[in-house]
Amino acid sequence: MNRIFLDVHALQTVPPSNLNRDDTGAPKTAVYGGVPRARVSSQAWKRATREYFGDENLLDPSELGVRTKKVAEVLAARITDLDSSLAEADALRLAAEVIETATGSKIEVPKRKASAAKDADDEPAPQSKYLMFLSARQLDGLARLAVDGASDIKAYLKDKDNKARAKEIADTRHSVDIALFGRMVADSADINVDAAVQVAHAISVHRVENESDYYTAVDDHNTDAEPGAGMIGTVDFNSATLYRYAALGVHQLANNLGQGLREDEPLTDPVRRAVEAFVHGFVASLPTGKINTFGHHTLPDAVIVKLRTTRPVSFVAAFEEPVRSEHSGGHVREASARLAEYIPDIERAYGDEETTRTWLLRVGPNTQKLAGLGTESANLTELVTSVGQAVAERLEKPA
Amino acid sequence: MSVLTLRLAGPLQSWGASARFTRRTTESAPTKSGVIGMLAAAAGIERGDDTELARLGALRYGVRIDQPGSRVRDFQTAHHPVTGKSMPLSERFYLADAVFVAALEGDRALLTELHAALRAPVYAPYLGRRSCPPALPIELGLHDGTTPLRQVLQDEPWQAAPWYRRQRRRDATVSLAVLREADEHEDHADVLRDQPLSFAADHRRHALRSIIGDTVEVPNPAAVPTRSAPRHDPFDALEEESARCS
Repeated sequence: MNRIFLDVHALQTVPPSNLNRDDTGAPKTAVYGGVPRARVSSQAWKRATREYFGDENLLDPSELGVRTKKVAEVLAARITDLDSSLAEADALRLAAEVIETATGSKIEVPKRKASAAKDADDEPAPQSKYLMFLSARQLDGLARLAVDGASDIKAYLKDKDNKARAKEIADTRHSVDIALFGRMVADSADINVDAAVQVAHAISVHRVENESDYYTAVDDHNTDAEPGAGMIGTVDFNSATLYRYAALGVHQLANNLGQGLREDEPLTDPVRRAVEAFVHGFVASLPTGKINTFGHHTLPDAVIVKLRTTRPVSFVAAFEEPVRSEHSGGHVREASARLAEYIPDIERAYGDEETTRTWLLRVGPNTQKLAGLGTESANLTELVTSVGQAVAERLEKPA
Repeated sequence: MSVLTLRLAGPLQSWGASARFTRRTTESAPTKSGVIGMLAAAAGIERGDDTELARLGALRYGVRIDQPGSRVRDFQTAHHPVTGKSMPLSERFYLADAVFVAALEGDRALLTELHAALRAPVYAPYLGRRSCPPALPIELGLHDGTTPLRQVLQDEPWQAAPWYRRQRRRDATVSLAVLREADEHEDHADVLRDQPLSFAADHRRHALRSIIGDTVEVPNPAAVPTRSAPRHDPFDALEEESARCS
């Protein structure tokens, strides 16, 4: 099999902030190299990346999915779009039948809602037990199927061919975000999608202790007779230079996407678009935890992208010994120096492939030491386009 | 019989053996099902291919705890993307800062194949959970021939991080815990349900596995020879003084 892995590494400094907190409200942490570090969980950054796809229109909405328990309602809306003669209740019933056949998951009215609505006139809509992640194209396909069998849906779906078609629709044409981040449907093995992306928890390259901000707020309507604060409280925060890492199995992504969704485009096109969206989204997105309190809008100082034909390699061990900033003036400069030394070292030790390609996007004099590690891109767009093109070439002509 | 050794190191790892629902715990060392699953993924064995998996499951497994690490509790929330309502809260446990050496004993051809698969995997390896990529390449070495698993785990150099070794610099050797699979005739102390039978998404199955807890003595490369402190007697100075005065 042709193996193509894309590694994305980033150094990013965030000022006092609380991007991702635990149940006590404090920023998440971990111990690495024997000292406490700031941590941002992988799921927080994956969510930020996914949101970025939509917010920045990196992908056409038709390439995206929707994750909801209210699949029946979502599908019913599409059914009535296709055939406006169908009543809403009928469309709901059709949708529920089709989804049950296609995914093997039960679609029913939640018990609590059913009992709450006993006295009311309109019956609540049925839902799936788990969050379902369906692409726009899958929903379109299922809606078509429902309309075709609208006259007697139960009999229609009993037919072997129709049943197989329903299952196939739910298991092909996955949307880009499902192909990247995976989908788990707990009670149906058929439509699970294993994620093509691994996102590591981001950790600080240096020692970090959480701090606490004590604040008071004045009540504007207090009279002189009532001195003192209207309220007091604390907000936990930290600031950090984070090492962020993600690995993308491009061959796995191609497999998940199913190459060539449209007949008029090259086979590699959807893969290239997905790779570009991922690199762009992962680099530029930011978890928004307490963003209005801290305004921590930053971008990475350095991004390294590696295209490999062997296993992915994380460079986090370069920071196992925590970076200290006392002498060097800032964590980014020292972290860049560490990477500049570590990357050639580890690639020499474990035999780097000649086919490995490296891109670099860096900002300012603090990242100077990284220069020469790869092809320097002038800006993010150039980096993303160049990576996408290389991936497409590699897919067409394996190295 | 040959032995393949792996180094499992990274900021976070998580090796669940019995975790379900919203509380996802971790064992204190990599499980056999976790490691076999990683190798199967690298070799491109698909979920549900139980015949292929059985070849890997037949390997004997042992693991050495080179740096035990510490337990981290991660609290996770999720929100419904449409309604914004919060989903059930979940707790995930990780081992932070840990280093292990895992060893698999068995057929040479199979181990050679797995060794190569780790260098160019079909599905990228991770340390028990997808968000835990390894910090360094995993494959340590393939030991051909007759050296048994226990001996290989004894001979493999200590893989702990430099900072951790320095903490033990007074000790010329360190004693490391080993958890290895019992032979059929061996008396075992412990069992764990981590012998993988099927990774099929809808019916994962694991059998019980007998485990023997052991320790091995391994040299500490960071050890500094202890010098005896120079003799110090404050009264020497007094004697010198009094000799001069008299």
